[in-house]
Amino acid sequence: MNDAAALDLAGRALTLARETGAQAAEVSVSIVRRFHAEARENVVARLEGSTGKGLFLRVFRDGRKATLSTSDFSDEGLRDAVVRAVAHADLVSPDEFAGLPDEVAPATGMDLDLHDPRIADRDGTEKVDEALSLERLIRAADARVVNSSGSHYTDAVAVTAMANSTGFAAAYPWTRAGRSTGPIALDGEVKRIGQYGTAARRFEDLETSESVAVTAVQRAVNLFGARKPPTMRVPVIFERDVAAALLDDLFAAVSGANVAVGNSWLSGRVGNRIGSDLVTIVDDGRVPGGLGSAPFDGEGVATRRTPVFERGVLRSFLYDTYYARKLGAATTGNSTGGGVGPSNFYLEPGSMSLAELIAATPQGVLVMDTIGFATEHASGTYSRGARGFFIEGGELAYPIDEFTVAGQYTDMLAGVDAVANDLRFDASVISPSFRIAEMTVSGN
Amino acid sequence: MLDQDLLSRLLGRALQHGGEFADVFCERRRTLSYRLQDGHIHEASYGVTLGVGIRVVIGESAGYAFSDDLSARALLEAADAASLISRNAPAGEAHAVDLSVDHVASLYNSEPPGEFDPTRYVGMLESADAAARRYDPHVIAVNAHVSDEMQEVWIATSDGRLVEDRRPLVTLGVQVVASDKKERGSGYVGDGGRVSLAYFDRETPAALAAEAARIATVNLAAVPAPAGEMEMIVGAGGGGVLLHEAVGHGLESDFNRRGTSLYSGRIGERVASELVTIYDDGNLREERGSLNVDDEGVPGQHKVLVENGVLLGYMQDRLNAHLMGAESTGSGRRQSFRFAPQPRMCNTYMPNGDADVDEIVASTQRGIFAKSFAGGQVEIAKGDFVFMVGEGYLIENGKITTPVRNATIIGNGPEAMMKVVAVGNDARLARRHYTCGKGGQYVPVGVGMPTVKIASITVGGTQHE
Repeated sequence: MNDAAALDLAGRALTLARETGAQAAEVSVSIVRRFHAEARENVVARLEGSTGKGLFLRVFRDGRKATLSTSDFSDEGLRDAVVRAVAHADLVSPDEFAGLPDEVAPATGMDLDLHDPRIADRDGTEKVDEALSLERLIRAADARVVNSSGSHYTDAVAVTAMANSTGFAAAYPWTRAGRSTGPIALDGEVKRIGQYGTAARRFEDLETSESVAVTAVQRAVNLFGARKPPTMRVPVIFERDVAAALLDDLFAAVSGANVAVGNSWLSGRVGNRIGSDLVTIVDDGRVPGGLGSAPFDGEGVATRRTPVFERGVLRSFLYDTYYARKLGAATTGNSTGGGVGPSNFYLEPGSMSLAELIAATPQGVLVMDTIGFATEHASGTYSRGARGFFIEGGELAYPIDEFTVAGQYTDMLAGVDAVANDLRFDASVISPSFRIAEMTVSGN
Repeated sequence: MLDQDLLSRLLGRALQHGGEFADVFCERRRTLSYRLQDGHIHEASYGVTLGVGIRVVIGESAGYAFSDDLSARALLEAADAASLISRNAPAGEAHAVDLSVDHVASLYNSEPPGEFDPTRYVGMLESADAAARRYDPHVIAVNAHVSDEMQEVWIATSDGRLVEDRRPLVTLGVQVVASDKKERGSGYVGDGGRVSLAYFDRETPAALAAEAARIATVNLAAVPAPAGEMEMIVGAGGGGVLLHEAVGHGLESDFNRRGTSLYSGRIGERVASELVTIYDDGNLREERGSLNVDDEGVPGQHKVLVENGVLLGYMQDRLNAHLMGAESTGSGRRQSFRFAPQPRMCNTYMPNGDADVDEIVASTQRGIFAKSFAGGQVEIAKGDFVFMVGEGYLIENGKITTPVRNATIIGNGPEAMMKVVAVGNDARLARRHYTCGKGGQYVPVGVGMPTVKIASITVGGTQHE
């Protein structure tokens, strides 16, 4: 991928914005070459490969803001779209907080190890074979695997450029690759699926296909004979992937965009003790090779490390320039261009392994998978469909499914009483496994 | 968007290595939206999606490539990339495909194509904001957006058809947060459809906003939801999310052709109580999920999925229909030119039963009334589904009583549908704001249902005696 092509397109859009009446403007451009192979049994079910561009422009006029996203890069098409976007700013209310950031990223410190030339150079056939081999590996791992929802190899080779009307212009290349599979095992009449995948910036950081296949198959067959648990209040251990989904919710509550519009149960609580001593949560945009890492955010502000919770105390929300100004804070470099997003958002790991954590739990529930999602963050209520294991005497006693696990976030964070050491930087929002002292498990 | 000669050449090029079928999907979409926050028009956004997707199908394999560069050179390269799927097939030759234009009548209700009129959006948003704040002094925040979209598609297929569709879609969404300093509650209402903005002269932004404010104040006063198994009454309209999750996804043909759905191979079997009939319809006038033609150029249809509890059919796209020896049901949909089509739902609903709604409530001793759902999800293989209650109440001794906080309900598709013990006579479609996600692709859908009672289901609250 070519930095110059992305910077050139960004420059064209900025010039057009200035010519058509924008007083200030910023633009981000991504050019991404994506590849996706999906295999089922010995058939290549899907083979996709394309290079796509995206352009996102923000313009400001007398404190009024308008945005444009387009995939029409013809001279005429881009001009027409920019003219329209600038014209629409007229009906927007002037807003003293709208505008470009006060300070953009320095030209140094750009290399966060986000690009692996090996991914760009990989041969197509080799990549297709990887998807096919995952299909063989899941079947070899356990004879009860009878089917799959598909095995995938995906990668992306890209460049992201950012420029604004104060003269800032920078670009960085990035890559990403992933393997995933969804084996289905037959438990009597019941089909049980085990989804698992790995993703990384660098090819060598991917989990091996063997390990991905084994984990996915275990997720399917471990649940054989699962039953619905009784309704009870018990300690609950969230395994790292579901713990990460929980942190995703928590991110929404610390996002300045939600706080500013009253849609967060944490509004007005900075400085308060919310969680237990074990709750230290960080947003760090500069983890080398991190999937949420970038040298600058969606408005060109340098990324950084922001402690969000320290030993249970809420220290900071996360902001872009606009919501920081509105809430009387400073940007934390979390702009997505249009809003506020996580970089590498994670709970600091503890020292015990997940196995030790289970062994230290006389009775409880291990949640290995959840379905459902938060639809509002105002009240701080958590409730999800779940499956996993019932724990008795520090051992996995029997598998359970078709139950829910629920609580209020304030009680849950205060109730974190053990954190494991299994944090991995394999997504933007990540977490080690952890235990909450008591939650409501709802079943029979 | 592209001239017919180029489309013919692209189809021929796509099939250069053989392959059974190819299609070219051209899209031009323009979206204008305005957003209100803190009582002010916060932002205007304009979006253009312009590009072409080319697919080649051979057996159960599909090659796909797209281009946002509309030059012949770039498009021919995309056709070459898509054709790689059949590169091991016996070498063919690139023949241009002759195309004839198909015309379809429109189900949409839209003003003649013209310019967007943004002053109307601003008026709508301001009226929504004022109405929500007027509704109750506890309202602390109103976030509203209006979006107006026109998606134009041209679909050329290697069997020689060229069809065009122009799909309008407008949406007004209002989210309201209420607070009494101690607790917070929120409410969301959205509406619109494949209509023009004139729709909001009837369904006024003020009325929609007042409804969102009402839900926010109900949720503010709500108590923690109960935990455990109990009876459930699902409200008419938005309750249709239940059908979408518990049954609908499991009847999409890709899962069934691959045998990964719990409904695979069960056509003709009893999968629900005999009170249950479920349709999916792409032809409902003005509905969000309706399509004159789907994204493979096949006209929308009325499909009987389940009738009196018996499974009758799946929702088919072309690829899976062909492999299953069936016909497409006009269910091939995609998010944009960047994606290959998948079999998807359009508008999924249950027609009227004969139970009186008051009697359904009176017959319920201890349970939960899920008046509306905020969303849901399903795991296809085993069929476990969840949905998140947007507005819910306790039912005690035959009466709807205290509001409860947003709980998740969990069940298993066929098990829950077997436990349907009453279907009301008040069927209606939900307000039009639902969007369905599958495999990373989001498409607008509709749902609907009469009031339905399920004998027992697990409610995921926190209150356990």
